[in-house]
Amino acid sequence: MRGGTVGRSLLICGCIAGVGLAYVWQKNQIYRLGDEIKKRETAFSASEKRTAMLAAQLAHLKSPAQLEQRCQQHNLGLVAPHETQVVRLYEPGAEWDTQLPASTSPAKPASPRSTTRVARR
Amino acid sequence: MKRSPQHIRIACVLAALAAVFGALAFRLFQLHVLRHGTLSAEATAIRERVVHREGRRGTIVDRNGNLLANSLSVHRIVADPQLTASQAPVIAQKLAPLLRKDEAALVQLLTRQSRYVRLDQKIDEETLQKIRSLKLPGISAEDQFQRSYPNAALASHVVGFVDADHKGVQGIEASMQNYLQGQAGYEVIERDRKGREIRSLRTEEIGPRDGYTVALTIDQVIQHIAETELDRAMAEHRPRAATIIVTRPRTGEILAMSCRPTFDSNNPGPAPADARRNRAISDVAEPGSTFKVITVSGALNEGIVNLADRLDCENGAFIYAGRALHDAHPFGVLSVEEILYHSSNIGAAKIALKLGPPRLADYISRYGFGRKTGIELPGEVSGIAHPLSRWSKLSITRIPMGHEIAVTPLQMIMAVNAVASGGQLMKPIIVKSVTDEAGNAIVQARPQLVTQCLAPRTSVLMTMALRKVVSPEGTAPKAALDGYDVAGKTGTAQKIENGQYVNRYYSSFIGYFPASDPQISILISLDDPAGGAYYGGTVAGPIFKAVAEKIAQYLGMAPTMRIIDPTKVASLS
Repeated sequence: MRGGTVGRSLLICGCIAGVGLAYVWQKNQIYRLGDEIKKRETAFSASEKRTAMLAAQLAHLKSPAQLEQRCQQHNLGLVAPHETQVVRLYEPGAEWDTQLPASTSPAKPASPRSTTRVARR
Repeated sequence: MKRSPQHIRIACVLAALAAVFGALAFRLFQLHVLRHGTLSAEATAIRERVVHREGRRGTIVDRNGNLLANSLSVHRIVADPQLTASQAPVIAQKLAPLLRKDEAALVQLLTRQSRYVRLDQKIDEETLQKIRSLKLPGISAEDQFQRSYPNAALASHVVGFVDADHKGVQGIEASMQNYLQGQAGYEVIERDRKGREIRSLRTEEIGPRDGYTVALTIDQVIQHIAETELDRAMAEHRPRAATIIVTRPRTGEILAMSCRPTFDSNNPGPAPADARRNRAISDVAEPGSTFKVITVSGALNEGIVNLADRLDCENGAFIYAGRALHDAHPFGVLSVEEILYHSSNIGAAKIALKLGPPRLADYISRYGFGRKTGIELPGEVSGIAHPLSRWSKLSITRIPMGHEIAVTPLQMIMAVNAVASGGQLMKPIIVKSVTDEAGNAIVQARPQLVTQCLAPRTSVLMTMALRKVVSPEGTAPKAALDGYDVAGKTGTAQKIENGQYVNRYYSSFIGYFPASDPQISILISLDDPAGGAYYGGTVAGPIFKAVAEKIAQYLGMAPTMRIIDPTKVASLS
């Protein structure tokens, strides 16, 4: 009889202690997860900042003025071909516009089915 | 009944305990009930903090998504002089090389009678880490944004710039402020003993929203082409100012817009206000002969003249209302087409006399002169187009050749665009779209017809006549392109100073190509070229040619006229 009472008491105490420990463990987990979230947030924010900075750097490096400058620096001699240096190959049967007399009505624009731009040296 | 001393002692102890616990109970009651509100607020104030987070300002990109402006995260270094004053010389010695500031000036800041002092702004992440590693007492950092323009001065008049508070001041930055500005958010956080946030105790959180992305109709490459040629023209002709606008005539999209002098959007401060003004929309000038396009197209549209009709141009001197009107070169009898491509002032005046003042005034209004075009850029002006009631007797002979009227370059090119594209006056478009972070369109620009100025047939007739302007007989043979038929009009207007016409000129050329199917129109204007030449065809014509050729190459536009005999292809291969 006495042993049963002690057992029940111990069980109740154990349950209370278990609940307490579970609460502490859960709280600990919440704090840990909070810290993890904070770290991720910080990392994400840093990545965003870095992305913006790299985007600006990339845009600067890709800017036409910068590319031209680099071409000159490295003496690459890259220039756009003049229209007279380009040979356009028209598919057989495609309409080829003749030079329009200045005071005739505007003609239909040339509409080749496919053209290829070839730089002629 | 006599009590034993033992009982008395017990009673004394109990009374003492009761007094102590009573006092404790009273103190607890006082703290938890009577002063609860005050103390609770104090505790919350120590523990909790509201952190405001600014939304990043939106980016500005060109029509192909190339970045023109974005916001970078930087830092502001601040100090609490109450904590730094005692060690000011040591802190200043360590900070000075990192902040690139004078040590004495830093000491002065660090000992100021205040609890908050800004030491430096726009500090990058790397420098901040170095400062943090020093673990200096009373020194902390705040986040801030810095606007960055990777292309520096490219399209600076269109893109604009922001002020110290990150608010748009000019250009798209100002006109699209509501879309570009981010929305601030806040967090209610709890801090630990060291002032670090306990993330799990964050009670409220409303995240910031970044600003929207504004895509312009500007093409970065075409803008660069235009600006390079404009710089070349500035060096060659040394004008006071110059403007270039490249558009798509059918839609009214602006592909490039630039002015000289110019400025760097990253550092607009040192540039004079004159250089920061977008002259394409805010400067007005008498357009000169380019305005003959308006006069002749009106007369053709009304059926008052035909291109073949011939008019006497009085050998260079025409007296009307007691005042003489002169041509740059004397002409005899010219057809309407010849009047246009020889740019005869007398011919234009005689056409206007046939049209009559009310109808000329009507066409001026139809083309949108005297009204803002409605482009989404700040600072646009209406120009000066006097109402018919204020016309003098001479006006009917002066307005047709672009005097007594003041227009902006944008108004002029939009009017010529109407002639190029079947008589339809379009609203200029500079903002292509506004999108949110997920890419959803908030605003999507659509070509907007303002009015039908001319019948399509008149537009074709005008194009036929304007093609002759770039022929060897016309005023701008230097604007002709290899492989593409060009239509355009030159303008050389004398400038007015102190109410008198002086020998200073406003030289311009507006052209479009291919004339048979206009894809691109370009306006070039130079204010007071000082290199000797000043005729629009001589000064602005070659710039048009250089810009147009490069644009045609860039866009891969197939030539509309034969420049290489296809039979040569076989020999080449």
